[in-house]
Amino acid sequence: MSGRQYLKNHLPVILLNLLGMLALALFLLAAGNPVQSVLFVLAVWLTVVILWLAAVYLKRKKYLDGLLAMAEGLKERYLIPEIMEEPEQAEGQVYYQLMKMAEKSMLEKINGVQRERKEYKEYIEQWLHEVKTPITAMKLLCENNRCEFTKDMLAELENINRFTQQALYYALKGDDFGSYTEKDYRIREIRLEDVVHGAIAENKYLLRQSRVAVTVDGMENRVYTDERWVRFVLNQIISNAVKYRSGEPVVHFFTEKKGNQVFLYIKDNGVGISQSDLPRIFEKGFTGQNGRMLQNSTGIGLYLCRRLCDRLGIGLTARSEERGGTTIILSFQVNDFVTGARG
Amino acid sequence: MKYKILIVEDDSTIRTQLKYLLEGSGYEVLAVTDFADTIGTVKEYAPHLAILDIKLPKSNGFEICSQIRSFSDIPIVFVTGSNTDMDELSSIMLGGDAFITKPYNTAILLAKTASLLRRAYACGQAEILTWNGAQLHLESSLITCNGEKAELTKNEVKILYYLFKNAGKICSRNDIVDFLWDNQLYVDDNALSVNMTRIREKLAGIGLTGFIKTKHRQGYTL
Repeated sequence: MSGRQYLKNHLPVILLNLLGMLALALFLLAAGNPVQSVLFVLAVWLTVVILWLAAVYLKRKKYLDGLLAMAEGLKERYLIPEIMEEPEQAEGQVYYQLMKMAEKSMLEKINGVQRERKEYKEYIEQWLHEVKTPITAMKLLCENNRCEFTKDMLAELENINRFTQQALYYALKGDDFGSYTEKDYRIREIRLEDVVHGAIAENKYLLRQSRVAVTVDGMENRVYTDERWVRFVLNQIISNAVKYRSGEPVVHFFTEKKGNQVFLYIKDNGVGISQSDLPRIFEKGFTGQNGRMLQNSTGIGLYLCRRLCDRLGIGLTARSEERGGTTIILSFQVNDFVTGARG
Repeated sequence: MKYKILIVEDDSTIRTQLKYLLEGSGYEVLAVTDFADTIGTVKEYAPHLAILDIKLPKSNGFEICSQIRSFSDIPIVFVTGSNTDMDELSSIMLGGDAFITKPYNTAILLAKTASLLRRAYACGQAEILTWNGAQLHLESSLITCNGEKAELTKNEVKILYYLFKNAGKICSRNDIVDFLWDNQLYVDDNALSVNMTRIREKLAGIGLTGFIKTKHRQGYTL
């Protein structure tokens, strides 16, 4: 509450008092009182008015500053009427009533949106699980009737499967991402070999169709992480390697152990990423030069990879020289306490 | 003897196709269509292995699993669309042997089935395949003929295994490469040619000249 504004608001009161003082002075003088006693009466009046104004100002300021601080410290600020005391002044009570009304309609709105969001999320989740049945059926149909045509279909099915996975992880991110991860990931000891071969198997027809030569070396390391999530990340990386291939495409998986970190490298010889794009490839919606060239990049895949890796505590970096291929590096922390305790 | 497999799956396309797939891999298969009396069917058919979907009309895979466990120790494979950890945990708690999520990789499903059956029934006898007097020893990576033997590499064993399994039929190069990929050997067309040349040299060394025949533009056959 600014003092100047307060004085401005009380201008009528002050003017009224001044007018009263003038009238009284004139009356007293006319009645033949000495000037000195008139001045004394006026001085007393003025002091009382000033003291009163100051006292009210200080009291109100303390109260209102307290309210502001309270709101400042509140996460959901619209809930302020819930914790503030009901004001005693008639005007304040009306404002309090208005705030209560605003709060109520706000809460109703929020509840509605939350319920809608939850229902939509549940529907998406359910849909994503249901769509797996026809995908499985189509896969089996193709496997049972093998020919060149069904192999191309299987490659497309791998794409569909990856997109549905992407949607699943995307639908579950956002504010609820935290709660989702808590209930749905499970850290256990996994062999890198298993997850790499699993990811390759999920993209077999895609890799074969694009004639990508795959090599896997040195996969004896074990790490502590969630297998399904890492496989999803690898799926995205493999699909990028296929999408941005050039010449005779090669994808090389290998690992390296440095101190208490295990690095998993996925190296391709594709078109590479320009140095100016490189720092931004994990941003949401970023497509860069390569994406613009191919026109079917969404900028979601690598962004989700980054989110999942952050959750799991996996380092995710990319290295590239234009025309020299891309290397994606996943770094896992190897917990020395666990391995040490097991001897 | 053919192993008997029971499929409990409510989606009719998957049911039929899975049946074809397993029959094609040399199993005898029965697919349950009346889910009200699955247990009766299990008792009557006495399968060596059961594949259970978790979500079923009127019942669910977990219930069926625990009922089967009350009278039988057959390997049970769970197949499900919703891959939550709770489901996986429940399946293990109830005595399931494997948990596979849809959409599954058929190669992985077949490999799981085969390994569960081998562990449950075959009591560790080494697998040896025979064709025209040649014997392929899978465990020791050897091929023998008339007392002579040749050592084989991992790729060569897998290629020969595929040819032996499909002996008499024509195996296209593409199918062979597919099979190798399913076994985590990522060879391409050129590498396959190199491998075939080496295999033929080794076979010639033990007196099996012309054992593998090339069908022009179609593939190989034993």
